Amino acid sequence: MNASQFLLFAVGGLANAAYLFIVAAGLSLVFGALRVINMAHGSLYMIAAFVTVVVANSLGAALGFWGGLVAAVLVAGAVGALIEVVVLRRVYRQEHLVQLLGTYALTLIIAGAVRLIFGAQYRTMKAPDVLTGSVHLGGHSYAVYSFFMIGAAIAIAAGVYLMLYRTALGRNIRAAVSDPDLLSASGVNVALLFTTVFVIGAGLAALGGVIVAPSQAVGLTMDTDILVLAFAISVIGGLGSIVGSVVGALIVGETISFGLANSYTNQFALAFIFIIMAAVLTLRPWGLFGVAEQ
Amino acid sequence: MVSLVRTPIRWATAAAMLALLVVAACGGTSSSSSGATSFKGTRNLGLDIAITGQSALYGHAISQAVKLAVADLNSSGGVAGYKMQADILDDGTDVNKSVENTRQLILQDNVAALIGPVTSAQCAATSPIAKQNKVITMAATCNSYQLTTEPDLLNPYWVSIVPNTYMEGTSAGTLVGKLPSVKNIFIVSPNYLFGRSETNAFVAELKKVNPSANIVNPQSTWYVPYPTNPRWDSTIAAIQASNPKPDLIYSNIFAADQDNFIKQALAVDPNFFKTYPMTTLSSVDDLNSLGSSYPLGMHLYMRAPFFALTNAKLTAYINHYRATYNGEYPSDWAVMDYDAVMTWAKAANAAGSLDSDKVVKQLAGHTFPSLRGYNFTIRTQDQQANVGETIGTTSDVTGTKYPFPTLSGITNLKGDDIIMPLTLVRELQAGQCEQGGKASTTDFALCPSWKS
Repeated sequence: MNASQFLLFAVGGLANAAYLFIVAAGLSLVFGALRVINMAHGSLYMIAAFVTVVVANSLGAALGFWGGLVAAVLVAGAVGALIEVVVLRRVYRQEHLVQLLGTYALTLIIAGAVRLIFGAQYRTMKAPDVLTGSVHLGGHSYAVYSFFMIGAAIAIAAGVYLMLYRTALGRNIRAAVSDPDLLSASGVNVALLFTTVFVIGAGLAALGGVIVAPSQAVGLTMDTDILVLAFAISVIGGLGSIVGSVVGALIVGETISFGLANSYTNQFALAFIFIIMAAVLTLRPWGLFGVAEQ
Repeated sequence: MVSLVRTPIRWATAAAMLALLVVAACGGTSSSSSGATSFKGTRNLGLDIAITGQSALYGHAISQAVKLAVADLNSSGGVAGYKMQADILDDGTDVNKSVENTRQLILQDNVAALIGPVTSAQCAATSPIAKQNKVITMAATCNSYQLTTEPDLLNPYWVSIVPNTYMEGTSAGTLVGKLPSVKNIFIVSPNYLFGRSETNAFVAELKKVNPSANIVNPQSTWYVPYPTNPRWDSTIAAIQASNPKPDLIYSNIFAADQDNFIKQALAVDPNFFKTYPMTTLSSVDDLNSLGSSYPLGMHLYMRAPFFALTNAKLTAYINHYRATYNGEYPSDWAVMDYDAVMTWAKAANAAGSLDSDKVVKQLAGHTFPSLRGYNFTIRTQDQQANVGETIGTTSDVTGTKYPFPTLSGITNLKGDDIIMPLTLVRELQAGQCEQGGKASTTDFALCPSWKS
């Protein structure tokens, strides 16, 4: 493999890692702040993808994608808020198994609702004109949209980091993780804070769905397809760590890209991801960048 | 005050009325009427299909065709005196779900017959269940030739009316092998029974027709994990990185996978399929899914595209289908599965019974009309019909007549010209085409008559 071929697969892996990171970051944020494993996270991603396609195809080429983006984030955020208020507030102090079962039940309900509203068929949409086209580097072609995905992931990662460490909201989130009772005693509305965090997580899932919608068929298996990989990334990187989500996504994305292309590893590429996950769970159960639970 | 004497009578009357309602709803053995027709009862026609999942694109068309066929049968007197009911269960394109559904259809719903699932993996898993319970399966979608020739899959109640992977693969191999400008070929195929079966057939025939043809990617990379990752970056990068550059991509990826691959390849390079011409299995559903985005110049092989098989019967069916389903065009699956139901019904009517042993005797060795413009015969040796395949190149020949491109340079390959020779069938069924005596390695390229 020469340098230009290496770059070809590396960029493909980065494009894969980009949308995986965005979704996994939301999952990780919710767990880190709320200590909830949200099985319905993939469902929010799927809702956003469907909303994006429907709105984009209705509005047409010029405004479609951007209108779909706004609508998808708003809808997923609203659904997220509803989930947090109606379901999660009742299970925060319960053991993780109850939370898992509760959020899993939500995935089934949402899957049925999505099928009723949007139908069982796959839907497709075109990418906005400004993001179509290709770039030629080193004798190979790269999709402009792939660079958009990578750029969007970098911007979102920076945004989440800044939010957590440079804003009052982020300070409150970190304080709530450490000692929610003390934060509440200081006058902060912890319940509203938790809803805000969950909505941000839902928004991140939605952004992931928006970004993939122009590049693949949007269908009813998207929720489970993404959840498996998002969990793998979060376990590898560490639940609750945004940096861990970045590293985990890079590991998964590049493993898929290089693994599938190699004749020796092609048949095992996807298995490698879960071998890595198993190894991390065995050697460092809190993940590469996570913090061990007391 | 209610009389105690009247109460038992009221309860008895209510119970009798309820019983009558229940019997009428279940159909029982009492006569039920649909207009002027009197039926002996109602029986289920089972369909375990991908309403959701990777193959939902096809499952939608198949379920609509089966429902339409059942309605048409009932309006013309039913099957062997029975009113038929389409009993459709969603398998999500999942093998385990398919097995569960098939058991339910057979054991609980007492189906008279089954219409086969979409993928060959599902068919291989459900065939033994149907065989054990003596239920006929009409296969009109899944098509691996192993389903009718591999010793441990042989099922006397399995009937295939779809061109199988031998027929499709060798047809593609012949066509590609004869292209003068094609020497280097890149293969992309889903890694399960159908993909391996059809790709192996393609390669075996290609090597016969053009021994100098070169497959540029290693065999272990021909097959992508199935169900597949929705991102095809790695495969697209591998095609670009190939040395030598491929003159053609051979593929049999389908449904959502085909859509995703095409979309992502075109995003990388709008001229991707001009640089790397592609020959692939396709269907009207795939063309319609991408619509005007479906690339022109693609060399497709299709099983029953309505626009290439023009005949009066098909035209009537197109109008009927579109009138029933909001103007949708019937895809290849809608044509073949309608044929499947009608073929089974004709055999059952000839048998005068829904009993599988009697019906299968009216299927094997018999000839049936089809929507495809020709009659087909179901061979007794492997219960495979001599159905044809359509090949052509996507182009805009029909302008805006359809919301998707159709084909130019159409050739309708005849079933008799592409069906597996009986010598191969016999050798396969006798276990002479295996590696190390393992039935799961069945491959016609290992057969003595193929090698010679």
